Amino acid sequence: MSDEIKKQETAEPRVGVYICHCGGNISDHVDVKKVAEAVKDIPGVEVSHTDMFMCSDPGQELIQKDIKEGSINRVVVASCAPSLHELTFRGAISRADMNPYLYEHANIREQDSWVHHGDPATSKAVTLVAAAIAKARGLKPLEAIRVDAANHATIIGGGIAGLRAAVDLAASGIEVALIEKTPFLGGNASKLDRVFPTSEKAGDLIAYLADTVMKSPLITIYPCSEITGFEGYIGNFTLTVSKKPPADAVPGDIREKYFHPFAGYYPGQTPTEASEESLTTGVIIFATGFELYEPSRGEFGYGDNEEVITLRQLIRDMADSPQDSGTLRINNRTVRRVAMIHCVGSRQIPGIHEADEDDYLNEYCSRTCCTATLQAALEIRDRYPDTQVLDFYRDIRTYGHNQEDYYDRASEKNVLFFRYEPDESPVITRESGEYPLTVRVRDKLTFNEEIEVGVDLVVLATGMQAAPITSLVEMMKLPVGSDKFLQEVHPKLRPVEMANGGIFLAGTSQAPMDINEVCNAAQAAAAKTVALLGKGYVELDPFVAAVETDKCKGSGKCIEECPEKAITMNGNLAEVNPALCTGCGMCVAVCPENAIDVQGWSLQEYEDMVDAIVKF
Amino acid sequence: MKSKRDFQFDAIVIGGGIAGLQSALDLGDQGYTVAVVDKDATIGGKMIRLSKVFPTLDCASCITTPKMSSAAHHDNITLFTYCTLDNLKRESPDRVVAQLTQKPRYVDPDKCIGCRKCEYDCPVYVPDDEQGGFNMRKAIYIPFSNAIPQIALLDAENCALCGKCAKVCPTDAVDYFMKPEAITLTASTAVLATGFELSPLDQKPQYGLGRLQNVVSSMQMERLLAPHGPYNRVLRPSDGREPDSIAYVQCAGSRDKSLGIPYCSRVCCMYAIKQAMLLSGALPLADITIYYMDIRAFGKGYEQFYQNAKAMGIEFVKAKVAQISQADDQKVMLRYEDQEGSGGVMERDHDLVILSLGMVPQWNPEGICSVGCGQDGFIKPAIPKIAPTVTDLEGVFTAGVASGPKDIVDTITEAGAAAMEAANYLKALNGSTA
Repeated sequence: MSDEIKKQETAEPRVGVYICHCGGNISDHVDVKKVAEAVKDIPGVEVSHTDMFMCSDPGQELIQKDIKEGSINRVVVASCAPSLHELTFRGAISRADMNPYLYEHANIREQDSWVHHGDPATSKAVTLVAAAIAKARGLKPLEAIRVDAANHATIIGGGIAGLRAAVDLAASGIEVALIEKTPFLGGNASKLDRVFPTSEKAGDLIAYLADTVMKSPLITIYPCSEITGFEGYIGNFTLTVSKKPPADAVPGDIREKYFHPFAGYYPGQTPTEASEESLTTGVIIFATGFELYEPSRGEFGYGDNEEVITLRQLIRDMADSPQDSGTLRINNRTVRRVAMIHCVGSRQIPGIHEADEDDYLNEYCSRTCCTATLQAALEIRDRYPDTQVLDFYRDIRTYGHNQEDYYDRASEKNVLFFRYEPDESPVITRESGEYPLTVRVRDKLTFNEEIEVGVDLVVLATGMQAAPITSLVEMMKLPVGSDKFLQEVHPKLRPVEMANGGIFLAGTSQAPMDINEVCNAAQAAAAKTVALLGKGYVELDPFVAAVETDKCKGSGKCIEECPEKAITMNGNLAEVNPALCTGCGMCVAVCPENAIDVQGWSLQEYEDMVDAIVKF
Repeated sequence: MKSKRDFQFDAIVIGGGIAGLQSALDLGDQGYTVAVVDKDATIGGKMIRLSKVFPTLDCASCITTPKMSSAAHHDNITLFTYCTLDNLKRESPDRVVAQLTQKPRYVDPDKCIGCRKCEYDCPVYVPDDEQGGFNMRKAIYIPFSNAIPQIALLDAENCALCGKCAKVCPTDAVDYFMKPEAITLTASTAVLATGFELSPLDQKPQYGLGRLQNVVSSMQMERLLAPHGPYNRVLRPSDGREPDSIAYVQCAGSRDKSLGIPYCSRVCCMYAIKQAMLLSGALPLADITIYYMDIRAFGKGYEQFYQNAKAMGIEFVKAKVAQISQADDQKVMLRYEDQEGSGGVMERDHDLVILSLGMVPQWNPEGICSVGCGQDGFIKPAIPKIAPTVTDLEGVFTAGVASGPKDIVDTITEAGAAAMEAANYLKALNGSTA
């Protein structure tokens, strides 16, 4: 049977067309039956089917049945974007023993039904499917390119995410380079005291992971280091690591190799002079973390009044305070009453909050600040019962395991809650009176009354924002979302992978998360890494440039144009390194002899598609 | 019952929902052999029963079916569907044993070709739970169109034993005398991905679920909105009319100490907003109101999704609904405390009311497995902050809602983490299994 199918691959093209309803996503706007009908008589089309979900098992079996019965030798599926399910269908075709590259995908969802409606949507679908059929007719069987993969991963960032991923990869027998830009391990978590909901010391968590990392013979730590050079491809990246002595020398009292509160875990090896090193690695994991939102001057009185501090500062001050009774003291001042304000630098709304020069706002929720704020509020009420706590919030988002308990206990402990709307945020002013600062807010919970209350301290629950890693993003051409965090391929299909092959995400480089969510993401990224590198090789799509040796006259133009340096001259003929080639087609455009073409996306195939588009 | 069939794997995954499938795929892709056990006749769990999913509004099937299909066709993965887990025991560091009962389908899985002829000919109609009970299925049936495996099962309780299915079956697959069968699975590690059930509301009769026709659960609304749904459109159950006014009651069976469910179920805010958006597409003229305590849109892109819903005109009322009762004209009356605006007790009528039900554990390990659970009944993570999938049972891990409510994104990520822990456990046992 299988040999029969192989023979069929080179026979006269007989195309099977499969059009997906996508459960209404497509069929609510595109008349899929009409599309199937319209293309069924195009020369070369053998069958034309529709299905509610082509990607489901019965849908895939429909294609496999047609292949196995020998009625088709080319497949066109018209459905969602190829980034979602092109691989699904190639896999189905492979399992039916046909070459998976005799396949063309027409995107009639993102490029059609989601943006057009009614007859125009249907007629565009016909055009797209007809073009795909025209291309499919000319497709030739291709083989995936197999290249060796290094049994080595590079993790950028030595916070909780980076440490967690390093521990798991080493346990799986993969060599790890852990790149950290500061002299310390632990990242942002080092700035915490106790973590919710377990009340463990953040330092103990960091130390547990960092001790394991320090002991592992498979992990090399690069403190005070950054990636400054990048080339290569999945399985075979070459990175330049630049080490630099820190701007401020590490103080002597925190140079022991263990965790130092609010500084981090000191791993030693702080460089005394700058140096560079080259690394060959198979996978890169982004554990670059987040940075805390810095309120602008005057935002809730920040910067203008020393009685306005961030939650991070409050946590630090309380941790340093030996006192456990009476009234909280911050900066040698007694805090009789404190106002805590949520959503500072989070959930910003266009038109209400002030955008930066790029017209950008942090529109997302930072996920951790509600519980962290209530945790701090409770600590104040527990340790300093004479200090009153007022909490100004929009929604209390204590969503996680045992977090609702913090909200309950805060209410029991007489933390007073006020709910504000973003367009009527609390206003902080300095006034001469019993209290240095006054908070004014319209409280939604008491009939929208304007409330005015004097306080000694204002604490801002500042959110997370994307870490400043622009140079890495540009160097590696990484996708970034509108929230400036790194963008995964798909939040459910491939949540820890980026579109760039072999580059994975771990933790808050992707979005705000708390520590256990960060660890889950880091371990998921590690699992993907082990699956990828475990085989010792990776397979790349064969959509790369190929030279027709009888046409090439050795002009060398392609070599000049190639941005990936993938082409070299072998004697008088151009030669492509398929592992380096990204299939961009620059060489095709400049070859005076038309002697170079991208496999699977040839000039002839484009011409066939354009002809079909003109016709339909 | 003597075990008729014994199988040996590297890992056992209990639960074939999205968590279990992702763990199995991540282990299988690392070269380990995996058994996936599901109590249902199909894998896919709760996710395959949903309509579209937040915040991308992809159809749930578009994400679930390819993962189901990959697992079903994976060289390293074997599915055991329609099996109850009777016992799961760690016998030694390298040996965990699962005792299963294969429930009888009364259809030979090796013979059935999924042609559905039996289903077409069966004269018995039974309310279809897979469709929220809104329409009927037959007494012999395939659970739904994208079920895996595509093998029929006979519902013995409702079968009239008329013999039609056996007569029409082209492969002689129907077997009325099929018996439960014992299966023993042995492996070195296990992942518990046992998922959730919707919060039961029998202790909350004042919400009227099951009593008032036009009060439905959020899962029933998923079916009304789904592409394979019972009516292929959204209709009010009592009279089949299109509702003009629709209300969501949030925290129905979450954050409610009177029900013993004090925790937040994490997904209800977002799925209510998602359903409201889908409803405003399906019924552009309908007014939609969401009665909520706090809107918890905390995930990536969720807050923006919530703000879009507000901009679309969906009304959000901060209120705790106290009572739901029958009003005139087949409407439903909500009595609630208005926490904003003028305050006080308010009453308002709607054509259709959806209860945003929370999550409770689907599985109680008592008497089956010695894994520890928290007071809330979910599996208790032993190292919750830095190794969230580790349980108190050596080499047994947990993924997804089994250890507490989670949305799909967090579930899938955690399933990957559980696979990593399980793989490293295997690696530590014997160095080079993969």
